[in-house]
Formats: sequence, C-alpha cells, structure tokens
Amino acid sequence: MQSRAITIAGRIIRQIVRDHRTLGLIIVVPNVVMTLIWLSFPEMPGMLDYIAPALLATLALFFGFLLTGISFLRERSQGTLERLMASPVSRLDIVIGYLLGFFLFALLQTLIIVLFTIYALDVQYKGDLWQIFVFQIIVLIGAINLGIFISAFARNEFQMVQFIPLIILPQVFLCGILWPVDQMNNVLQWIAKFLPLTYAVEGLRDVMLNGKSLTEVGFDLAILAAFAVGISVITALTLRRSAGS
Amino acid sequence: MSDKKSPEPAVEVRNVSFSYGKLKVLDDLSLNIPRGTSYGLLGPNGAGKTTLIRVLVGLLKAKQGSVSVLGQTPTRRSAYLTGYMPQQHSLYNELSIVQNVDFFARIYLRQPRNERARHVEEAVKLVGLWERRDDGIMKLSGGMKQRVSLACAIVHNPPLLFLDEPTVGLDPELRVNFWEHFSDLNKRGVTIVISSHTMDDAAHCDRLAFMRNGKLIAEGAPENLRQATGKAGASLEDAFLYFVRRGETN
Repeated sequence: MQSRAITIAGRIIRQIVRDHRTLGLIIVVPNVVMTLIWLSFPEMPGMLDYIAPALLATLALFFGFLLTGISFLRERSQGTLERLMASPVSRLDIVIGYLLGFFLFALLQTLIIVLFTIYALDVQYKGDLWQIFVFQIIVLIGAINLGIFISAFARNEFQMVQFIPLIILPQVFLCGILWPVDQMNNVLQWIAKFLPLTYAVEGLRDVMLNGKSLTEVGFDLAILAAFAVGISVITALTLRRSAGS
Repeated sequence: MSDKKSPEPAVEVRNVSFSYGKLKVLDDLSLNIPRGTSYGLLGPNGAGKTTLIRVLVGLLKAKQGSVSVLGQTPTRRSAYLTGYMPQQHSLYNELSIVQNVDFFARIYLRQPRNERARHVEEAVKLVGLWERRDDGIMKLSGGMKQRVSLACAIVHNPPLLFLDEPTVGLDPELRVNFWEHFSDLNKRGVTIVISSHTMDDAAHCDRLAFMRNGKLIAEGAPENLRQATGKAGASLEDAFLYFVRRGETN
C-alpha cells in the first residue's frame, strides 16, 4: 500500500518540478502577498508583528487548499483519476499519495513564507522557529485534504475557484484576523468554534506572540489534527473517479 | 497470457442493468466474450458501450445481474489481469512519454527496476514511439497521445484489454497502425474488448455485439451478422440497421 502511495507522490512531484511556471508561482506569490501587506502598514511597525501569525496560518490554509483542489480537479476532468481507479490502487493510496506529493510543495511554500516574513520583513516573534513549522504542517495537512475533498463538488476550475469565497473567506472573517472572536456576536462566535482556521490563528498567535510551546497550545493542535485526520478519512471514503459523475 | 483454446469465456455478463438516476443505460444485458479474440462493442453514442466497459473494469457496479472477468468479479485485486484505455487520453501532460508509461508500470508491476524498464521499453516500442520517448505529452499529436495511452494500458502485459473507442479521431493510416498493434496482441493470446461506433473498426473484430439503448440487439461473428440480413454483399452497417429495424418491429 505504502509503495503505491509513494509512486503517486513521486509522480506529482515530477509533474510540478517539470512545470517551471507553476513551481515559480508557488514560491513567489505568497511572498508578494506578504510584502504587499507589509507595505500597507508603513507607519505601524508593530502591527505586522501582531497580524503575521494570523496571516501565516491563513496563507497556509488558502494556498494548500487552492494548490491541491485545482490539481485534483484536473485529475478528474482529464480522466487520469478514472484510469488510476481502474488499477490496483486503493482510495487510501490515492489520498496518501496526493497528501505526500502536495505536502512537499505546500511545506516548501510555508518554509519560504515564514522565513521571508521573519527575516526579510523583520517580523518579531517569540517561541521556537521549529514549533512554528510543526504547527503550520498540521494546518497544511488539513488544507490539502480539504482541497481534495471540495474538488469533488466542482466540475471545472472555474467552479473550484468559486469555492474560495464559500470555504476560505468565512473562515478569514471569523477566525479573529479582522476582529477578536470574543467581540463578535454569539452566533458568529459559535460558528467560529467549528472552523479550523480559528484554532490555527489562535494557536499560532500563542506560539509566535506569547512564546507558548506546542504542549501549551495542545488543544488547538489537537482540534487541527482531528480536522486533518477527519477530512482525510472522509476524502478517502467519498473519492469520486471523475468530475461531475 | 491467456489460452486461446480455453472454453471458459474471458468475460461473462449476465442480465446486467445499470442506471444513472432514472436513465437506464444498460438494460438486462448478457454476453460472453471468448478468450483470445478481438471483440467489438458496436453501437451509436449513448448505446451503453462505455458504461459496460466501466462496469467490466470495476469503476461502476451493476445495479442488477453479474459480471465475471477471467473468472473473477471486477475489483481492484482483479485489476492486475486487465488493461484499460479510457476514451480520453488520460495522460499526465507535464510528463514525458516514458514517464507516463513508467508510472503505470510502477502501479501494476511489483518488479525490480530493470525488469520494469524492460516492460516500459517493450510497450513504448510496440506503439512505435521509442524514438520520441523523452518528449512531453503536450508536444504530441492526438494520434500519438492515443498510442501513449495504449502503451500505458498494455505495459503490465494483461491477458485482457478494455479499449474504449481507441481509434476515435485517428487518421486512416494510424487506424490501420492501431489494428496492427491489436492484431499483434491477439496473436500473443490477449483478449481485446473494443468499443466503437464505426463499422470500419467492426470489420477487424472476430466477434461483435451490436448495442442500442443499453440493449444487446445482436451478437456473433461479422460474417454471420452480415448473412443474417439475407442480402448478398450486405455490409456491417446494413446488418446493424437490419437488427435495429427487426428490434423495432418485434
């Protein structure tokens, strides 16, 4: 089982490496976004330090979701997933293979964006750098599988992009990045409790701003890990072979 | 490879029905496909050919009836015994010809690298693309993509091949080329099930199943189907229309 998942992951890695433009965009775009945000606060030097954890968590979720969702949808619409599902490969092989393949690029993207934010934009942080990465990894695993899962509901790339305002934007509005969750009305606070980005932002803020360890943000991590595992299982169980069938 | 003389059919379809929602796509269909033959599923678009192939490779489960492929119910375990070439090219555009074929070799074959490389070389050579093996899929014409797709389906030397409209969009020269490949495979004992809506393909098959609206309207050797019309020099097209009309009057 493992070796087929690795074969699939290897193929995805080869595909992206051979697609130089996509690879370049994966690396450059998040840093451009971060720089634009940095330029938006010229007179408020401490402001970016405060919002950076929330932005890093949000960008990990957003780019992880987008990268995987579009790529997986293309597998469906091009018929390659159908061909794979007529082979001895199991659904779990496919989900794990995709997770491993895209994880590498999502991780590379996260590494670059975190290092760029800290060293190029000079964002101050407490806590250990490796703990920030571990936290981001958990966010990424959930984001990648969310992308695969949601792609089942889209028949083309245009529809997939429409899921961004439906799946990602409400999380951005309610996760505490724009205004604190405890200052929102009760209904919105209740909804925020069910959104993974809320825990990602809360936990990463604690690690980066308050210098808390991963153990101390264990509750947020556990929720994010449960989301990652839960969405992976649902994805494996509901994997469909083609777009719109 | 399968035994041409074996009496047990390669594929047995018994009273199979399948629907997409309320739309019945296969309607109480039964047929046997003898081993080592080229078997054509012939019919217009919407006849149920692709759905039947999807049932036979295990992508869809029949709502009623039963299917046996080389004595097994189609599952992912029996997938080792079959090769499937879907209607779309279903290739990874960013990869080269040899990388595409090697990917499927890795999926199907549990063999050392050298052994696997030999299978890949054989399959790519069989479709006549070895000289261009490092070319990306994006650089290839539609016909070449079809050939790569065929190489992906045969790389693990399956005794049974399901080819869904493999000659669609091919020019006459390539079509002849493809049939030469199929004939080569047949000679090695491979059973080939081909769906098509052109009578040109039908003429190359050992046996044919005429399908219409999810039903089997006739089955047999091309010559027998032609003779059934009662007209001297009847074409397969005439034979198809004869069975369509006969079905309508019954």
